[in-house]
Amino acid sequence: MKVIYKWLQEFVDVTASPADVASRLALSGTNIGSVENGPHGAVIDAEVGSNRPDCLAHYGIARELGAVYKLPLKPISSRPAEGTAKAAEAIKVEIQSPELCGRFTARVIRGAKIQPSPKWLKDRLEASGVASISNAVDISNYVMLELGHPLHTYDYDKVRDHQIGVRRAKAGEKIRTLDGLERTLDSSLSVVYDGDRSRAVGIAGIMGGADTEISFSTKNILIECAWFEPIAVRKAARSLKLHTEASTRFGRGVDPETAELASRRAAELILELAGGELLEGVVDVYPGKRAPKKIQLTRAEFLRVMGADVPDREIEAILSALGFAPVRVGENRGAQGSLLAAWECTQPSWRAEVEREIDLIEEVARIYGLDKFPPRLPAARQGAERLAKFEPELRVRERLIGLGYREILTIPHVAEERDALFRPEGVTRARLANPLSEEASILRSNGLVTMAAALEWNLNHGQRNVRLFEIGRSYRLLGSTSLETPILTIGATGEAREKGIYDTARQYEFADLKGDLDAIGALAGGFQWQEGGAAWTHAARRGTVHLGRSNPAPHSAALGVAGQLARRVADKFKLRQDVFLAEMELDSLYEEIRREKEARRYEPLPRFPAVERDFSLLLADGTAFSDVVKTIRSLRIGEITSIEAADLFRGKNVPPGKYSLLVRVTFQSREATLTDRQTSDFSLKIVSALEEQLGARLRAS
Amino acid sequence: MPNIENPTATTLSALGVTTAAAIADHFAAIRSRFDAESASIHDESGWKILRDAWLGRKSGVLAQITDNWLKPAPADLKRSAGAGLNELRAHVESQIESRRQAIESGADQSALAHDHIDLSLPGVERPTGSHHLVRQVFEQIEDIFVSIGFSVVEGPEIETPYYNFEALNIPEFHPVRDDMDTFYLDLPKGASTPLLLRTHTSPMQIRTMEKRKPPVRVIVPGKVYRRDNPDATHSFIFHQVEGLAVDADITFCDFTGTIEYFVKQFFGHGVKTRFRPSYFPFTEPSVEFDVSCIFCGGSGTSAAGGTCSKCKGAGWIELFGAGMVDPAVYGFVNYDAKKVSGFAFGMGIDRLAMLKYQIDDIQVFFQNDVRFLRQFP
Repeated sequence: MKVIYKWLQEFVDVTASPADVASRLALSGTNIGSVENGPHGAVIDAEVGSNRPDCLAHYGIARELGAVYKLPLKPISSRPAEGTAKAAEAIKVEIQSPELCGRFTARVIRGAKIQPSPKWLKDRLEASGVASISNAVDISNYVMLELGHPLHTYDYDKVRDHQIGVRRAKAGEKIRTLDGLERTLDSSLSVVYDGDRSRAVGIAGIMGGADTEISFSTKNILIECAWFEPIAVRKAARSLKLHTEASTRFGRGVDPETAELASRRAAELILELAGGELLEGVVDVYPGKRAPKKIQLTRAEFLRVMGADVPDREIEAILSALGFAPVRVGENRGAQGSLLAAWECTQPSWRAEVEREIDLIEEVARIYGLDKFPPRLPAARQGAERLAKFEPELRVRERLIGLGYREILTIPHVAEERDALFRPEGVTRARLANPLSEEASILRSNGLVTMAAALEWNLNHGQRNVRLFEIGRSYRLLGSTSLETPILTIGATGEAREKGIYDTARQYEFADLKGDLDAIGALAGGFQWQEGGAAWTHAARRGTVHLGRSNPAPHSAALGVAGQLARRVADKFKLRQDVFLAEMELDSLYEEIRREKEARRYEPLPRFPAVERDFSLLLADGTAFSDVVKTIRSLRIGEITSIEAADLFRGKNVPPGKYSLLVRVTFQSREATLTDRQTSDFSLKIVSALEEQLGARLRAS
Repeated sequence: MPNIENPTATTLSALGVTTAAAIADHFAAIRSRFDAESASIHDESGWKILRDAWLGRKSGVLAQITDNWLKPAPADLKRSAGAGLNELRAHVESQIESRRQAIESGADQSALAHDHIDLSLPGVERPTGSHHLVRQVFEQIEDIFVSIGFSVVEGPEIETPYYNFEALNIPEFHPVRDDMDTFYLDLPKGASTPLLLRTHTSPMQIRTMEKRKPPVRVIVPGKVYRRDNPDATHSFIFHQVEGLAVDADITFCDFTGTIEYFVKQFFGHGVKTRFRPSYFPFTEPSVEFDVSCIFCGGSGTSAAGGTCSKCKGAGWIELFGAGMVDPAVYGFVNYDAKKVSGFAFGMGIDRLAMLKYQIDDIQVFFQNDVRFLRQFP
């Protein structure tokens, strides 16, 4: 709402500068966009909240200034000269849908001369951003900007039978509005009709019809000033996509009591600018008239909410200036500043949203000044708790960052075909009913799809060695309810180690991913890996991750999956480099990290030295390291503390179908230093077990 | 002075020494020999040879003197031989230690050039990760509020209209809903409740109060969604921290005090604050909270002299909305509005981060370009 400073001065004798006015308005609750000095003087752009339709008018803003600056608000008294012919005989008004139309007033002016508006009127409208059309139409807009109540003027002679009324629209009913468009209506909104009720001459509260429009040949004018129900107007404006100055005001709720005054004010201005004769009286159908509401304000409640006091005379001055007519009530009404003080206030018709004591408290506080309430930090009464996942999440995050991964946050809105590439079978995706685009129409069912996109972005921007992780959620549907699952997603591509002065370059490979995941697993007592993976994985480089110290039961639910992205999928993202991805569910991981932390106990350090023995084995392809470990463990040699794979190679000096594995076994006793004979004995047992059970051959080393 | 190839390999008497003065001469000769050798070494390996030659347990010079001079010395000379040895040992040990320090500290100018590292070369660079900036800001905000007694809670991003709107005193067709363009989910036919992406973290006010009785003090970090077309200052996803405090005696003064405390912790004590009356359906009185512009220091004038582009000359920057919990909200959670009071706020994290770190495009938070991520380790 453009507020013209000089216009305000017609209603309140404010002398402060426009900048000061803007600042005081801002600090008392009218948001200010800007103050500009233009050809029409200072114009303040007020961003009026949806709860304050009364401030979509100069008079309303002037009332605020009156309260803020403690200046009286001048009453508007329009007394246009009336003729002897009675309006009631010239126009009939009826309201068929009183639930949608609470008041309808009509005045008639005969013999007016429609012509362009004078300069002062054009200027004011121009400063307000409203187009000038003709004097009669401009006046209705002017009065709306002045008093906040929209009006509509009709060519009286085009209103059939000089009869007008309001009813619900019929489904499919059509009307051509003032903007020249034909619009189709439904029965949730109301229309203004004429004559036999068959023709709509306006969409109630939104826009008039073209059939009864004022033109430069119009002689006689019908002025409508009505009150329409806000919710119906809002719904109608939205469904018609027709938002007008009128619909904005009716939609937020205008003051029904002002209707007659606004009509009188418009008549006065039309007589002044267009001449003619105003018929006597007004036709005023007012089924929605309500008695003003009484609201009580007590000092006790004010103090309970605000925590600091305001003097009696300030409370009374503020409420009076805003139109609440406070009256001190109760036995102690003589006692200034009494803690028991109470005021009975009357809700002004232009402030329908002020209904409760808390609303009055806000009114007093905002005008008195929020800066007058001293800030203080309240004492805490209980301990503050972090989220249960706080510590495990912190440990996982710090570990990943230590391993070289950068944390990212992605937008979960993705394209269906991309999400489908990673979506596990049997999962129902969550689709938006009103997406901004098809590319952002699905909430990701997994984190891999957005991780792949983040890698894609970086590769497309020349960043070739990238390691990322995201702690986020997946979004799925279970029937018609939603399921959000906390997940960790990891993505990496390029070199694990770049070429430098001290090191050679090495590509990131599956083993990097596995090792880094196991570093997280160490927080949870270790991960178990199993063959298998999701559809998006490279069939030879993948695995599923499970919690627990022993091998998971077949088909038990995996914590997550890790693998190289299948070429077929990578091509869809145009990812030419090998890409490695992993995803796991966080709730059970965090749970296990917590449990493991609680269960962890100190193990005394061994006092006797450890002995290492290396076994260089020739194994058949298909024999896994885990088979070797299992075979050695089956000997139940208690002194074995670790079995490690120290080296692996194929090719030169290794026959086809075989591979060479260097296995390092560490022995240590808690009782004594192991003798050479003991370790030789263990070694012999190990070699013969591997030979017998796995067909391994010991290579000469 | 006797001139024998290796005097310490033989006894004093074999050297023909019979007087204390002669003993002193011999020690003096040994000492000069040590000083010459000591001065000629410049690196660690030479130093080790020197040390072993003189202090070696079995065949070092000092061990030889002990074995060959001192032990077999006649009683009348033992005293002066002992004194000479002690003095020599003290000299040798202290010299050897100071030579070691000199060599190690590199102060020795004659140390060989190829032993020097080039300090200007980088060390071994291991890949290091980084925290996302938004997460860092979340953590900082959480730390500040936890320190004044606020617990942290989280909630679903997919919400029902009841929690996102109705229970927050935003009935259907309330004009405020027009300002919060909402994403809805496409649900199977016959679904009883529509689902939406929460437009603010405020639904957790309701969920928290449903579960806990006052006193309540929580903050809610999380993602929120509004159906805005993306540009430099709009994203249809952003991050918020909601706050809620309800107790028997929380007042507006407690509210402003808490917010001021937070902002001074976050932006520094020099920042000025102000509260402007505003409107939200779920708070009353409602405020917009402003801080003095951190770019121009609140002057409204940029360093170059023109109008500050960040606050548009106002000197203030709008940070977030807040207020006292509207009594109507208590009705939805079975709190007695006559007995409790409280405040709530909802701050945009992306905006705070953009202001604090002078980021001019919100999209960088979600592109995840490592060149951005690297800037905020």
